[in-house]
Amino acid sequence: MKKLILIAAILTSGLFAQVDEKVEVPYVAFPIKMGQGFDAIQIHCLMCHSFGYITNQGRQSKKFWRGKVDKMIVHFKAPMDEAAAKATTAYLFEHYGNGKLK
Amino acid sequence: MERRDFFKKAAVVAGAAAVGTSTSEAGTTVQPIDNRKVSPVAFPEKRPLIMYSDRPPLLETPRDVFTSVLTPNDQFFVRWHMPDIPTYIDPDKFTISVNGLVKKELMISLTDLKTKFEQVEFTAVLQCGGNSRSAFTPIAGGIQWGSGAMGCARWKGVRLKDILDKAGLQKDAKWIGFNGSEKAAYYETPNFIRELELTELDDNVILAYEMNGEDLPYLNGYPLRLILPGYYSDSWVKMLSNITVTNEYKHLFFMDVAYRVPDNETESETPEKKFPKTKPIKKMNVKSIIGYPLNGDKLSLKSHTVVRGVAFDDGHGIEAVMVSTDAGKTWGKALLDDGSLGRYAYRAFRFSFKPNDLGKVVIMAKAINKLGEEQPLSKDILWNHGGYKYNGIDEVTVEVV
Repeated sequence: MKKLILIAAILTSGLFAQVDEKVEVPYVAFPIKMGQGFDAIQIHCLMCHSFGYITNQGRQSKKFWRGKVDKMIVHFKAPMDEAAAKATTAYLFEHYGNGKLK
Repeated sequence: MERRDFFKKAAVVAGAAAVGTSTSEAGTTVQPIDNRKVSPVAFPEKRPLIMYSDRPPLLETPRDVFTSVLTPNDQFFVRWHMPDIPTYIDPDKFTISVNGLVKKELMISLTDLKTKFEQVEFTAVLQCGGNSRSAFTPIAGGIQWGSGAMGCARWKGVRLKDILDKAGLQKDAKWIGFNGSEKAAYYETPNFIRELELTELDDNVILAYEMNGEDLPYLNGYPLRLILPGYYSDSWVKMLSNITVTNEYKHLFFMDVAYRVPDNETESETPEKKFPKTKPIKKMNVKSIIGYPLNGDKLSLKSHTVVRGVAFDDGHGIEAVMVSTDAGKTWGKALLDDGSLGRYAYRAFRFSFKPNDLGKVVIMAKAINKLGEEQPLSKDILWNHGGYKYNGIDEVTVEVV
């Protein structure tokens, strides 16, 4: 009888999560290079992702960085105009580029 | 300086992984970057791991974990796409919706899932399609993962088929869309949705709420994720919230643009001439990783060393793992574990090695599956723009002292 009551209690008491309150994802300050166009990066990139997401792509060509910016505009709907696209691309290529245009 | 030169000091600053640099000749695939240290920052329910981004969280498992068949939950890699991940989900209120071309729409609670369906549990490898991307030259687009965007766990949950049976599929049902709960910063950004054709779904596809006997960690998709054994992890939707049955394929970013390789025999292309037609990465190729020793380790002369690691494929099963301790000149058969965790799990291998000479030793591991497919040398792996599906023969270089 006791066993039955215990089972009933387990079934109705709901579920216990391993963590039963809000988890906190830590904020990490990634090192990022300063320079012309940094403002544009801060405004347009940081909304959706960390600087780590940028710097961990590896050094890339100008065409690659422009392609990434276009992907953010076309597919991820980042509200950026052509001037913003140019400014972010120039910054990314200057600081995280491989020196190659293509 | 070549990036495979592990003796160079790892350029790791403030928890950020080093920017990959390569002086290798264009087009030659090398060993993935292996000099990154774990970050001092621990994420929720995780030990400190190699970190690439905090938002969305991108965490990699260090190599030394790959001596065991099961990857501990707190060391299991993490990869999200959107900045906004729900950080609290009430298990008593959570429901998964099943809708679209079904006879009866369902809202299933976690309790119902755990009590009103047959419970199944099996072990399967989860690997990001971009795992080891840093091996490609020129640098392929995407996070420059080392070899640790993978893990193997015991998953417990309910068969997708049983859930669809309960809802009842309408006659013209053809595609199943899976929607995760991560959210973008902008309303217009597409959701992370994957679509699978009904014909691809078998009894092994489950919705899992448990990982290695515990709740899924938040960062691995609490409270429910899709398990698709044999497939790369882009299809294993996390924090699953909705299942929609449709009769036609919807064109979605994460299906049509991301996670695709050239649709030709070698799945390759050149940076100058990209192949116009692409296909989804889908099933994993045969691969193995050495978990011990590590690059740069010092071994004592004449002291027996047991080389350990894990091997896997897409479920055909591992036939053998060959190990070389002379940079590939000669190979010996490693011992495999009993394989009792099933064909989708890692097979642990071990190989006894007595270092008889002083100096550097290159240890290599090559897995062969039951179809006879074997890992190529890294230099023979051809390039693709997304840096997907690297499965080169793994190498570690140690020094006998």
